[in-house]
Amino acid sequence: MTTAAEFVAVSRHFGDFTAVDGLDLTIREGELTTLLGPSGCGKTTSLRMLAGYLAPSEGQIWIGGEDVTRTPPEKRGLGMVFQSYALFPHMSVADNVGYGLKLRKVPRAERARRVAEALELVGLGHLADRRPKALSGGQQQRVALARAIVIRPRLLLLDEPLSNLDARLRVQMREEIRRIQAEAGLTVVLVTHDQEEALEMSDRMVVMNGGRVMQEGPPDELFPAPANRFVAEFLGYENFLELPGRGLVTVRPELLELRGEHLEAAGHGTAPATAVPATVTSIAYRGVELRVALDAVDATGATVPLIASVRRDAIDSRDLPALLPGGRVTVGADPGHLVRLSA
Amino acid sequence: MKRSSPIAVTLAFLGYVVMIVPILFVVATAFTDGDALTFPPEGLSLRWFEAAISYEPFTRALVSSLQLALISTVLALGIGIPATLAIMRGRLPGKSVVEGLFLSPLILPELVVGLALFQQFMIHLEMDNFRTLLIGHTAILLPYTVRVTGASLALADPALEDAARGLGASAWRSFWTVTLPVLRPGIISAALLSFVTSFNNVPISLLLQSRDFRTLPVTMLDYVQQNYTPIVAAMSTLLLAGTVVLAFAAERILGFARIFGGINR
Repeated sequence: MTTAAEFVAVSRHFGDFTAVDGLDLTIREGELTTLLGPSGCGKTTSLRMLAGYLAPSEGQIWIGGEDVTRTPPEKRGLGMVFQSYALFPHMSVADNVGYGLKLRKVPRAERARRVAEALELVGLGHLADRRPKALSGGQQQRVALARAIVIRPRLLLLDEPLSNLDARLRVQMREEIRRIQAEAGLTVVLVTHDQEEALEMSDRMVVMNGGRVMQEGPPDELFPAPANRFVAEFLGYENFLELPGRGLVTVRPELLELRGEHLEAAGHGTAPATAVPATVTSIAYRGVELRVALDAVDATGATVPLIASVRRDAIDSRDLPALLPGGRVTVGADPGHLVRLSA
Repeated sequence: MKRSSPIAVTLAFLGYVVMIVPILFVVATAFTDGDALTFPPEGLSLRWFEAAISYEPFTRALVSSLQLALISTVLALGIGIPATLAIMRGRLPGKSVVEGLFLSPLILPELVVGLALFQQFMIHLEMDNFRTLLIGHTAILLPYTVRVTGASLALADPALEDAARGLGASAWRSFWTVTLPVLRPGIISAALLSFVTSFNNVPISLLLQSRDFRTLPVTMLDYVQQNYTPIVAAMSTLLLAGTVVLAFAAERILGFARIFGGINR
């Protein structure tokens, strides 16, 4: 696998605040890498340093085997899609897309052909003569994408590209971006705070917090095995507790098993190797599932909130009365379903 | 359509009455056939308009005023636009001090500015009165150019310039092809406002006048002090007509809301 870009011990300070703290990161050729994290985690600062809009305080940035740390953005040959799309309001859609080609002195005829091609790729061939303000948010997004890819960038950088779209369009654009990436054979770096988006779109995801990388890897490796509590929480894990001899563990709500005086194992029926006492605090009915909130007492004696998601049809109807607020149960899980966390 | 409250309608109506009615009196008296500035006019004629456009001091002053307004507007934009960009986008130490400096002519009494320029530039440095007037007018126009283009810049997405840079434009190129065109409505409104402000200025123009170069408002003021003929009303009416034509053209070309909002969206 070839390296498309690399951060080498990159830090960025803003006054006393360290936005990025000794970042080492490799972007692989042809892959879609997401930088994922809450706001202030350093993901956007990292992207802006990669694009050349911000200079690192320390460290180097390499693109295609070349040290670009001091190279201005216009000499980096990257395509970027901004959160606000940043379409030039005084130009038509076609002129927006053709802007980068014009600067590269591409002859008029070839320019027109490539602009048309790029607009076709994002499905907006028919809107070439419109002004950006006459387009919907989703269409503006596609124009921004076409403008960035028409220059055949070494890297395509996407800064929270979907956050201004409505929920349905967002999901649709995820697939769209993946399709365009594949068709154009692009290396993409995408910044997002949406873990679902990252899981669905990435070849490789990098979870950041406090300017550092918490964990990185392909979604299918990273999701089942979060390295620490921060990553687990960010990926949507909810249950955290200390178990004797196992340290801090987490377990997905649907893999948690409940036992009470009358309750059979609600999950797989195997006896939980580890079990803790708990009190039901509330119950929510969600279609075929029951979402049971519990207060459990873990190994340290602390009361921790847990969420169990139980299939309704897995519970004997005689046992339902035990699943009421105040009901005392035992909570456990198959040891194979426990994920051990470092902190 | 939204129904306005009766109070708002009444206030707006009163506002228009207070602003427009006195002007209508001036316009009406300009068409008089008599020899005095009286209302109602005695008879109807265009003879005072003829008198106004053939009265040499007025026509000469009109040319002077237009020259002064045009050049000082260009100067104020030439200084004000880069200053605005530096204040709002640059990494300038003491931004607020610089901004305060550019806005200060707005609160300084213009007579004081005029007197200071008269003493220092015309007497002390022996500069001619046209150049001194240019300096004075440019200074009082700067707050308008800085504020109006600043409002326009504040509404523009800062990522636009980043986008241009990322696509391969140098800082200079992105300024010419993106920043400036995006600011265009703001620049046009700043220019109109500056032009009118310079053209209408009395205090500075009054203090810095000379026999060879005198602006139209000063000349008219001078005239009214010595004569009381409807020629002044006729000249005023012509100026009013010119302003209305200009405003109408601006409205047709760009739309008032856009000019004075400075919004390019």
